[in-house]
Amino acid sequence: MTLLKVDNLRVTFPSDHGPVDVVRGLSLTLGRERLGIVGESGSGKSMTGRAILGLIPPPGSVTADRLEFEGTDLRTLSERRYRELRGARMSMVLQDPKFSLNPVITIGDQIAEALKVHRSLTARQRRVRVLEVLEAVRIRDPKRVARLYPNEISGGMGQRVMIAMMVVLEPALMIADEPTSALDVSVRGQVLDILDDLVRRRGMGLILISHDLNTVARWCDRIIVMYQGRVVEELGTGQLEAAKHPYTRGLLSSVPRIDETRDRLPVLNRSTL
Amino acid sequence: MIRVSDLTVRFGQTTVLHNVSFSVTGGESFALVGESGSGKSTILKALAGQITNWSGALEIANEPLSPGKRARLARKVQMVFQDPYGSLHPRHSLDDTLSEPLIIHGLPDRDARVLAMLDAVGLPRRFRFRLPHQLSGGQRQRVAIARALMLDPPVLLLDEPTSALDVSVQAEILNLLKGLREERQLTFLLVTHDLPVVSFLCDRLAILKSGRIEEEARVDALRAGRFETGYGQELVKRSRDG
Amino acid sequence: MISRAWILSDNPETRLQSQLGQAWRLMRTLARNGLAMVGLAIVLALLLIAAFAPWLAPYSPVEGVLANRLQPPSAAHWMGTDELGRDILSRVIHGARITLLIVLLVAVIAAPLGLLIGVVAGYFGGWIDRILMGLTDIFLSLPRLILALAFVAALGPGIENAVIAIAITGWPIYARIARAEVLTFRNSEFLDAVRMQDASAFRIIRFHVIPLCLSSTIVRVTLDMAGIILTAAGLGFLGLGAQPPLPEWGAMISRGRAFILDQWWVATMPGFAIIIVSLGFCLLGDGLRDVLDPKGRSRG
Repeated sequence: MTLLKVDNLRVTFPSDHGPVDVVRGLSLTLGRERLGIVGESGSGKSMTGRAILGLIPPPGSVTADRLEFEGTDLRTLSERRYRELRGARMSMVLQDPKFSLNPVITIGDQIAEALKVHRSLTARQRRVRVLEVLEAVRIRDPKRVARLYPNEISGGMGQRVMIAMMVVLEPALMIADEPTSALDVSVRGQVLDILDDLVRRRGMGLILISHDLNTVARWCDRIIVMYQGRVVEELGTGQLEAAKHPYTRGLLSSVPRIDETRDRLPVLNRSTL
Repeated sequence: MIRVSDLTVRFGQTTVLHNVSFSVTGGESFALVGESGSGKSTILKALAGQITNWSGALEIANEPLSPGKRARLARKVQMVFQDPYGSLHPRHSLDDTLSEPLIIHGLPDRDARVLAMLDAVGLPRRFRFRLPHQLSGGQRQRVAIARALMLDPPVLLLDEPTSALDVSVQAEILNLLKGLREERQLTFLLVTHDLPVVSFLCDRLAILKSGRIEEEARVDALRAGRFETGYGQELVKRSRDG
Repeated sequence: MISRAWILSDNPETRLQSQLGQAWRLMRTLARNGLAMVGLAIVLALLLIAAFAPWLAPYSPVEGVLANRLQPPSAAHWMGTDELGRDILSRVIHGARITLLIVLLVAVIAAPLGLLIGVVAGYFGGWIDRILMGLTDIFLSLPRLILALAFVAALGPGIENAVIAIAITGWPIYARIARAEVLTFRNSEFLDAVRMQDASAFRIIRFHVIPLCLSSTIVRVTLDMAGIILTAAGLGFLGLGAQPPLPEWGAMISRGRAFILDQWWVATMPGFAIIIVSLGFCLLGDGLRDVLDPKGRSRG
């Protein structure tokens, strides 16, 4: 079943030297699967995620031949309807939990807040849901953690709380923009595990946006490689080594290995791409 | 070139470093590896003079440092920071940033030196009067490296110099650092959590855990995945699994 | 040579070209803000009127014709005349000079003083911070007009003493703002880097810290101009500022108060001048804040 259909998506920002397209004609379809979007800074990967969620800040503008989510045309949606949709049916996990959590509200209350706005539940039902969802993101002592403030938890736990906030409404689509790059290496795998688990069990669609080809390749069913606002290559899992486009190949070879013996690392020749 | 003996650092009640000792010879590239909170950055900060409440003995290029006061070692040691966005003054052009150490130390031929350094780190000369916000992350990190080399110090402290960069840009910066080290016979002390970077750039490494050196090894041991301690093995495994 | 493309070039060849480019971009952003441009127009008009007051004013500001006293606004006297038969329009125009003088002198004394104290306190921290901020808090806790009154009472009335009094009561707010600003980047890596180059504390403060605090101070000074004008007018109204026959706006309102019911224009016309100029500075300050202050920028 198709969740999301995007045809010829363009995101444009004005600049000193005329308008600049940061996304140039991107098309994709997403079912209940894990899609990875990989690219370097400036490739337009984050702007793609934001465009789908209707979060392109002014003065940027979005155009598309088609932008459909669960049969709803997102292009003509009012800001109010979009906000309702973002809370309930699609959500976004951001890079750094520190800036996304309100520092003066306890974690339990922050998660419950989303339920208050979008669902009509009693306070008791809300409490149960909050503890359930905290357990779902593998927080060991949900009762205690729900009473803590954001500054009292670690970065890894913060990111799990963020994910809990996003999934408590059981959205159909989750967009995670570099969800692990602000985290310590030791907890990255765990956060991705949790995302993966949620996708499988709840049948969500996931778009994982990252700069890290290898990580994305390991966690996603499909990968889109973006360069300068365009999709340059689409790969299935395990096909990473079979990548053909010189940009993808260049990226792969420029990463040092743990048994590195090359004297110089190959560098992308951007002029030939 | 760098000697650290019995370095102990306490912040209030917590001891961040417990009697850490190691030394780096001239021209060598040495890595301090560990997770966040292992104390690896604290060692760098003590050597850079950013924290002064340490005990033990520190020595850079035959100059002993004393705890409690700022050393004046600008011409012996400089540092490249992790965040290319936070380490450049937002209102200073490249020219201002690179001229500053020359002005402070009263060195002549500023124009020629700045241009020569731009060439050395691979920045086009036309960037000279740009401001940091007009540069990409990789270009900013090149500026930071150039700034560190303006006074020709024999020792460079590198604090995760590529972890904030894209992989293709990381390769360029790593190549640049390796090339500069060969050209200028620099001594590197690199702090990182990224084992492949160590494998590419360093000769030896020390693995830190909770403020103690767990293991010191040559980089061959890393490449072969043959560390002696369990913790070392665990780090290698984690790095392989991503 | 000086074209739009040259100014906006991404590869400036000289320091001057780079700075012109920065200034141009700021001006362009400011020009998009309609209200800020209204403010700028008012402030520019004030500058021009003050500069050309003797040529613009139709009559003398200090000599009147007693036979014409308390005339209502007419073709001959657009704003009417006061109790000594002086043309109010001419007095308001000449008053612009006094207002501008007070505002500029206060800005020149109070802003750098406050900036310096705030920056030093913020940069060094510790006991220096505690002493300087304690001092600032003492000044800040005293009501501005009353403190100014006390100073003028001690120094004697007059425009110079009014300026000194307002300046002395004005600096603490700049010190607070500059200190808060410094605290946000005191431990940043670009300062660590320049410390590692053995730069002296003086050099770091002068060339690295102060430039980053300047824009917020400029914004604050512009916004404060209205308050300074009102305080000066307040002192004038109480007879402690500019002395007769100087056409200071506050003093003019004070004298007009006696006739406010029958000859409303005597007090109202300088009142309008104060309102318009204060508003001009406020609008300009708001616009500048949007352009210069990075914290305000996120709202866009």
